[in-house]
Amino acid sequence: MLTAKELERYDRQIMIYGFGKEGQEKLKKARAFIAGAGGLGSPVTIYLAAAGIGTIRIADHDRVELSNLNRQVLHWEENLGGRKVDSAAAKLRKFNSGIKVETITDTITEDNVSQLVADSDLIVDAMDNLPTRYLLNRAAIKKGIPFFHGAVYGFEGRAMTVIPGKSACLNCLYHGATVPKEKFPVIGVTPAVIGCIQATEVIKYLVGLGELLTDRLLNYDALRMKFTEFKINRDPNCEHCGNTSGR
Amino acid sequence: MSVEIEISPIFGRYTDDHLNITVEGKTIRECLHDLVRQFPNLKKVLLDKDGNLLHAYDIYINGENVYPKDMTKPVKDGDKLNVIFIIHGG
Repeated sequence: MLTAKELERYDRQIMIYGFGKEGQEKLKKARAFIAGAGGLGSPVTIYLAAAGIGTIRIADHDRVELSNLNRQVLHWEENLGGRKVDSAAAKLRKFNSGIKVETITDTITEDNVSQLVADSDLIVDAMDNLPTRYLLNRAAIKKGIPFFHGAVYGFEGRAMTVIPGKSACLNCLYHGATVPKEKFPVIGVTPAVIGCIQATEVIKYLVGLGELLTDRLLNYDALRMKFTEFKINRDPNCEHCGNTSGR
Repeated sequence: MSVEIEISPIFGRYTDDHLNITVEGKTIRECLHDLVRQFPNLKKVLLDKDGNLLHAYDIYINGENVYPKDMTKPVKDGDKLNVIFIIHGG
């Protein structure tokens, strides 16, 4: 049940055709797991908090560094040296006191991933490395939790939504390929766009509106200001979601 | 057999900022090899010592993922290839 204050706060989105109070209540009840409080995690959590997602659980083991501040807009100079999740949670709680923000400082590993995401309604992939993205993808598939992928490099970004059992997963997309984790070039406006796309997908999924970005990889090329879609086929032999997997 | 290959702007440094390049070839391999013939600096970035596309890249024909990455897969006149690299930043 929405309070009078919530009805006023979310009035403009409740007005959207197909959204309504029912949609807002769905957001309020939702528990979102956000893996990463960096370049992507910042816009994702800001816009999910703005939309009124009831519980936002943020996982990140890093501390704020000066070189983060060109893009990780949840963290400010006053937060340098502090934990990213604490910095993020403090801002989000001030921004929207009506939602619950939980923090996790553990590194996401094969041993704990299942437990960390256990009671979540969805997982947002805002990580900075492929091995952890695969861990989250596999856990999402295993538990039947929708997974919202995003990644950036320079002025380019990608996004794809995974609905377990129905659409291609991250491993169908990249087939286990990895690239070394290394310092990558990026400017803040790129994760801003991709993070907003991920947050949009989350809201659409929860409310039940529109068409999700499933079986499609959206490629954002900011230098040419162009979006391109690539068709991604579900791999029947995928080690994460295929019928022959040992999951 | 004329095919268009579109590459990411990050490769512009190797192609004088040409990102949509017309190549000749009947297979993916022939097209990629014509691409690196035109822009030799791309060769070490895109291909391994056997002339195959490196693991960090995927290839799409007319917007559809080619998997397994079969370099002998035929292409036809007017096809468009996209070479995209795996990105992981967040």
